[in-house]
Amino acid sequence: MFGPREFEAGIPVSTRHAITRSLHSAAALGLALLAGAACAADDGQWTLPGKDLAATRYSALDQINADNVGALRPVWSFSTGVLGGHEGQPLVANDTLYVVTPWPNVLYAFDLKTEDYPLRFKYRPDANRAAVGVACCDAVNRGAAFAQGRIVYNLLDGRTVAIDANTGKELWKTTVADLARGETITMAPLVVGERVLVGPSGGEFGIYGWFIGLDLATGAIAWRARNIGPDDALLARPGTFKAFYDRGENLGQASWAGDTWQRGGAPVWGWLSYDPELDLVYYGTGNPGPYNADQRIGDNKWTSSILARRPGDGSLVWAYQFTPADNWDYDANAENILVDLEIGGRERKALVHFDKNGFAYTLDRRTGEVLVAEPYVHLNWAKGLDRKTGRPVVNEAKLTGKSRGPVKDICPSLEGGKSPASPAAYSARTRLFYVPTVNLCMDWQSEDAAYIPGTPFVSATVPYHPGAGGYLGAFIAWDAATGRKVWEVREKFPLWSGGLATAGDVAFYGTLDGWFKAVDARDGKPLWKFKVGSGVVGAPISYRGPDGKQYIAVYSGIGGDWALIAGDIIAADPADVRPTNDFAPDLARYTSQGGMVWVFAL
Amino acid sequence: MRCCKGLLIAALLVPAGFVHGETDVPSGAASLSNPYTGDANAAVAGEKLFASMNCDGCHGGGALGFTAPSLADGRWRFGGDDGAVFHSIFHGRPHGMPAYGAILPADAVWMLVTYVTTRPVPREVPTAAWQATP
Repeated sequence: MFGPREFEAGIPVSTRHAITRSLHSAAALGLALLAGAACAADDGQWTLPGKDLAATRYSALDQINADNVGALRPVWSFSTGVLGGHEGQPLVANDTLYVVTPWPNVLYAFDLKTEDYPLRFKYRPDANRAAVGVACCDAVNRGAAFAQGRIVYNLLDGRTVAIDANTGKELWKTTVADLARGETITMAPLVVGERVLVGPSGGEFGIYGWFIGLDLATGAIAWRARNIGPDDALLARPGTFKAFYDRGENLGQASWAGDTWQRGGAPVWGWLSYDPELDLVYYGTGNPGPYNADQRIGDNKWTSSILARRPGDGSLVWAYQFTPADNWDYDANAENILVDLEIGGRERKALVHFDKNGFAYTLDRRTGEVLVAEPYVHLNWAKGLDRKTGRPVVNEAKLTGKSRGPVKDICPSLEGGKSPASPAAYSARTRLFYVPTVNLCMDWQSEDAAYIPGTPFVSATVPYHPGAGGYLGAFIAWDAATGRKVWEVREKFPLWSGGLATAGDVAFYGTLDGWFKAVDARDGKPLWKFKVGSGVVGAPISYRGPDGKQYIAVYSGIGGDWALIAGDIIAADPADVRPTNDFAPDLARYTSQGGMVWVFAL
Repeated sequence: MRCCKGLLIAALLVPAGFVHGETDVPSGAASLSNPYTGDANAAVAGEKLFASMNCDGCHGGGALGFTAPSLADGRWRFGGDDGAVFHSIFHGRPHGMPAYGAILPADAVWMLVTYVTTRPVPREVPTAAWQATP
């Protein structure tokens, strides 16, 4: 089934120095340890979407290593019975494997202590069918969180549920989003203490974006903060909120023409992370709406931004906008990975973010100051970053909006240099980030958009074409302290899976044509692969089973944006036959819909 | 989040002369007759409505399919005759098709029906062509 010669070659990018330094300096390794996460011994579980509060997706388990991963084999699989895109990841807690499906958002709990992993329970919510038509980009779900004996997750139809992790009993179910306004929920919540943190999807539906904290015990909404609008709605309180680069009041309102902020988007469909020492939760916001920038003149704060809040009362502490007046749908919903890095001879409390706009940002997570910002993929919409203002130096030839007519060859495409749907991983051993990337560019033409509540509010024609180099994706290793690519493995199709890094110096990812792969975390050398039946848009995890063995788990099941643009990958609906796309015309030849959970072991 | 290739929402709003609120529609969709059958101008007006009423935000530019199914493949979940398509637009359907009866007058819905049902249908399923690839 596999053999090294069958793989694409790993492509070193002349950074042997970085690898050597990171592998052989115990002192440097100490500096790299994460706040609260990687320094603790791994308990063998995977209880939060990103493994830990810092969202590292790093497993300290090391039974499976670069020397023996070639013998990895599938030991169990399960069809979820659902065809939507299987983004996100399973969880493992108390020897139970938890799986949340795309709509209708079934929760499966498998007993890992018993042979064949029989179900302990299956929870089937009455998820509203109408939500499927209000989700922009397939009826996906990015996973659950485990805390205090509960599984907490979101339903596409705008409800958050808490389930008893032992019995499957529904403990509470709270309506948090309004389908009639175009709001759905696809993100994985994070639980911090007694707070459950949730945000909506709907950047293509003209929502008024928000972020909420619920009470873990009761499901009551403790606070609701807007991401755009006046300071009181943002919970930007005097004396608490301080943006590193911006001054003034009501920036979330004053940076919009008229009342356009009221339907300006700023969804929260990506990943959350939390620093317990600073007591800050971090999340990114999505695009401003509509896509036609002429209809929302201004910076459109705080869309395509990162926000840091206190989870207790929701207070906004700082915010930074990656893409002001976003003309290209460069949502900033990507994960914010919390690591301590040595930068310029100083140890910094950093936050690393691979934005759709093609820049990899290393920020000071206390203040939002930009420490490093370098392109991790080819980009041409900006010429760099003004370090004094924190603003990108925009290439005006690539600005869009109806008044600018058709604009050709903008890189990266609106799928992003990396999709926020496919989170990166960080290895505390190599001190490198493992990033699934997309090599697509786009043309753009905007028109005027009519706002009709609950229907798309977009107005752009955006055909894609391949970026330079003859490949459509790459799995790269990134040094966030210096802003340099260390190695890359090029792929035939765009990458849409998450990454996983392990203490065995193995990094895992999947491909849209259905391969699940392992590479050497130090140099990118391909080590193993297995065909999982459908494209991988989920994120792999690692856990220790009750038998003491290390396991790797991942979903297969193409979808998300690729349910829309992969061509004819549909077979279950005889009334939906699509032409192939023109930027990856072969994709549907290698994959089709179908959701499964896979478990691998030596 | 994202929308992609082929997405088009044009400037045009409801064509002048339409009056909102004409919502009396007889039951028995299949028996409804399209007043614009064979009217190419109505199909063009329907194409503009397809963009301005955000239909293509879900069904894709050219109705080729996006987050919602293709309407240009000659295949129908809820019936493809003009009356059935009228009902799908006017009353909505499960899986998220909104009811446009409260937003558009019946005349405008018929123009949409005329556009959608006159889209050219491929003679072959596109993926079948791979069988012939050497």
